[in-house]
Amino acid sequence: MIRACHLYPDLLNLYGDGGNMIAFQKRCRWRNIPLQIINRSLTDTKDFSAYDFVFLGGGSDREQKLAASDLMKSRDRLQKAIENGLVVLAISGGYQLFGRHYETGDGKHTPGLAILNLYTEAGGKRLVGNAVIEMKLAGVPTRVVGFENHQGRTFLDGIAPLGKVLLGQGNNGKDGLEGARYKNVFCSYLHGPLLPKNAALTDKLIRLALKKRGLDPYLKPLDDAFEQRAHTALLDRLGLKVN
Amino acid sequence: MKLRLSSAILTGKLAAKLSRVCGYGGSSFPGLLARLFYPGALKKLAAQVRKGIIVVTGTNGKTTTANMITGVLQEAGFKTISNREGANMISGITTSFIMNSIASGKIDCDYAVIEVDEASIPEVLNNLSPRLVVVTNFFQDQLDRYWELGQVIGIIRDSLLGQKQATLVLNADDPLVAQFQRTTGLPAYYFGLAGDKNPGKRDPAARETSLCPFCGSPLVYNYCHYGQLGAYSCPDCGFTRPRPQVEAMEAGAEGGYNLTYPGAPVPSIALEMQTQGLHNVYNALAAFSVSILLGVNLQTILVGLRKYRPAIGRMEKFRYGNKQVYLNLVKNSTGFNQGLETLCEDRGGGDVLIVLNDNFADSRDISWIWDVNFEMLTVRQKRLGCFICSGLRGEEMALRLKYAGIPTGKIVTNTSMNQAVKAVLRSNRRSTYIFSTYTALRPVHKIIESLVEKGDKSDQGMPSVS
Repeated sequence: MIRACHLYPDLLNLYGDGGNMIAFQKRCRWRNIPLQIINRSLTDTKDFSAYDFVFLGGGSDREQKLAASDLMKSRDRLQKAIENGLVVLAISGGYQLFGRHYETGDGKHTPGLAILNLYTEAGGKRLVGNAVIEMKLAGVPTRVVGFENHQGRTFLDGIAPLGKVLLGQGNNGKDGLEGARYKNVFCSYLHGPLLPKNAALTDKLIRLALKKRGLDPYLKPLDDAFEQRAHTALLDRLGLKVN
Repeated sequence: MKLRLSSAILTGKLAAKLSRVCGYGGSSFPGLLARLFYPGALKKLAAQVRKGIIVVTGTNGKTTTANMITGVLQEAGFKTISNREGANMISGITTSFIMNSIASGKIDCDYAVIEVDEASIPEVLNNLSPRLVVVTNFFQDQLDRYWELGQVIGIIRDSLLGQKQATLVLNADDPLVAQFQRTTGLPAYYFGLAGDKNPGKRDPAARETSLCPFCGSPLVYNYCHYGQLGAYSCPDCGFTRPRPQVEAMEAGAEGGYNLTYPGAPVPSIALEMQTQGLHNVYNALAAFSVSILLGVNLQTILVGLRKYRPAIGRMEKFRYGNKQVYLNLVKNSTGFNQGLETLCEDRGGGDVLIVLNDNFADSRDISWIWDVNFEMLTVRQKRLGCFICSGLRGEEMALRLKYAGIPTGKIVTNTSMNQAVKAVLRSNRRSTYIFSTYTALRPVHKIIESLVEKGDKSDQGMPSVS
C-alpha cells in the first residue's frame, strides 16, 4: 500500500490544488493500487518516514506563514525522508517553503526549510497566466500545462529545474526555467491543477512512490482520452502546435 | 463646468444609443466615454440623489441584493436609480447615472442602489459618498483578476476609512465581513442566519480552516451554513460573531424562514420569497436590513421582497415541453456548489449542461472547478442523465467530471454551444440544469429563449461580472 500525505489541505488550497490529490488517488484506484491518504495540518504529528508521497499546495501569505512555522518543527525528519527517496510534489507556496528563504507580497523575509538550494524574492507585478513547460519524463520531452499566479521570483542555486518554459513566466520571468527538481522532489508554480491534465507526470509520481514502498512500479495503461483532450485543448487555445 | 457635464452626458447617451443599434446590451462604454470628456461627471450626478446612495459589494449576491433593495424602494414609491444591467465597475455605474439624467445634467431621484465590483470600490466610493454600504460575503473568486482575497479585503477596508458619513450593513456570519466595524470604526448594522436545527450537516473536517482576521488563529465554529459562514469565535483574541439585529431562522418542517429585528411589531415575521437557496436568504436579509434602516414600513418591505424575481441566470426557470429548465450563472466554487445542491435535491432527476469559458470576465484561471464538489453528484448518479460540457474549456470540465467519479459514458463534450443546448434539452430527464460562466451566459440564454417559452416574463437585469 502507498501512503500519501496531504499537508495542510485546509490552509494550502488556493488554486484548486486538491485536484492534484484527486488525480493521484483516482489513478491509483483505477489500477487497484491500494492507497491511504493521510491529511496532516497544524499541530498534527507528521511521521515523514512512514509516507511515500507528500503533497503541498499553495496558500495566501498568512496561511503559508502558519504552515511554514509549523513545518519547521519537523524539518529535519522531512529532510531525512527526502534523502531516503520520499516523493514530494510542492506547488507555488508549498514550493517556496523548501528554499532558504522567501519574501511575501509585503516584502517580509521569512526563513524557509532550506532543504532545496533555492530562494524566493518578492517581485513587482504578479506573474499570471497559462503556462506550458517542457520536461523530461522517462527520457521523453513532455509538455506540461498549467496556470501560474505568483508574486515571488524564485532562483535556483545549482539545483535542477523541473522544466524549461515554452510559454509563460516560470520561476522568475527571466531565466526561462520553471520549478525545481531534487531526488524525488518535484516543485512547480503550475497549478490548474497540475496533475489531472498531465497524466504522464502523475504516473511518474505514482511509480516513484511504489518504488519507495518497495513495490513493483509497473503501471497498467489507462484510457487517457479525456486527459489528452483537456491537454490538447489548452495547447490549441494557446496557439501551440500539438505534437 | 455645466457645459462639460452636459456634453459628457450627451456623448454618453449617444454612445448608448449607438451600441444599442449595433446590438450590444447595456454596457460600460457610454460611461467610459463620458468620463473621458469629464472625469467629474459621476460625482456631479451622484450628488443630486436626494435621500442617499446605497452601495452593495462583496463576492456573491451583489446583483440579487441590489435588485431586492430596488424592488422594495420602488414598492415604497421612491424614485430609484440602479445599475440593473450589472455593469458594476466605474464606467458602467457612470452609464447608469447618465441614462437617468436629462441633457442638462439634472437627475430626479430619491435613492440610488449601486452594486460595485470589489476592486472598483475605492474609486466608486470617492465619487458616490454612500449613506449605506452593504457587504454580502467574501469568497475566493477569480484569482487572476483580484489576486488574493486578503488584498481585496484590505482595499475595501482602506477606502471605507474615508467614508465617515456611511453606515455599514454587514453579514454577521462571515468573519471576513464582520471585522469591518472594528477595522473601519464606522457604525454597523448586522444581519445573520441562526443555527441549523440539524447541525453537523457538513463535516467540519471537510471545511477549510478559517483564520481569525485579527490574530490569525483558527476560528472555532458552533455551526456553519456554508463556506466560512456560521457562528464562529476566536479562542485566542475573543473575536466572535456579532449579535445580528436582523436574524432569520428556519420556520420548521414546512420550510421558509422567520425573521426577528429590534422594534418588530410581532415576535417573528414570515419571510416569503420566490427564489431558492440559502444564499438568497442572506441576500433578502441584507435587503431587509437596508429597508429597515431607511425607514420603509414592514408590510411594504415584505411585499417588495415577495415580488422579487431573479435576474438572468439566477436559477432562472424555463419550460420546455414537460420539462423544467434551470439556468444558473456560476462564477466561483461556492456558488457552483449551491447550484449542485439544488440539483441533488431535485427528486425528478436531471440532465446537466456545463458551459465553461476562460475569457477575462470568467477568470482566465479555471482551477476553481477543482474546488467544486462535483463528487456530491455521484451519490445521485441514478437520478442524473447526461452531462454535456461545452465552452472554450469544455474538455477540462469533462475531465473534472471524470475525476469526480461520473462514468465517462455519461459525459459528452460538444464545442458548439448551440448543439450542446439542443442536446441537453432533448435528453429524457424531467429537469435540465444548465450552468454557465459569465461570458457564455448571454449566448446560452439566447439559445434557450429561441427554443422554449419562458415560464414567467419579468423585467430582468443582466447580472454582474463578479
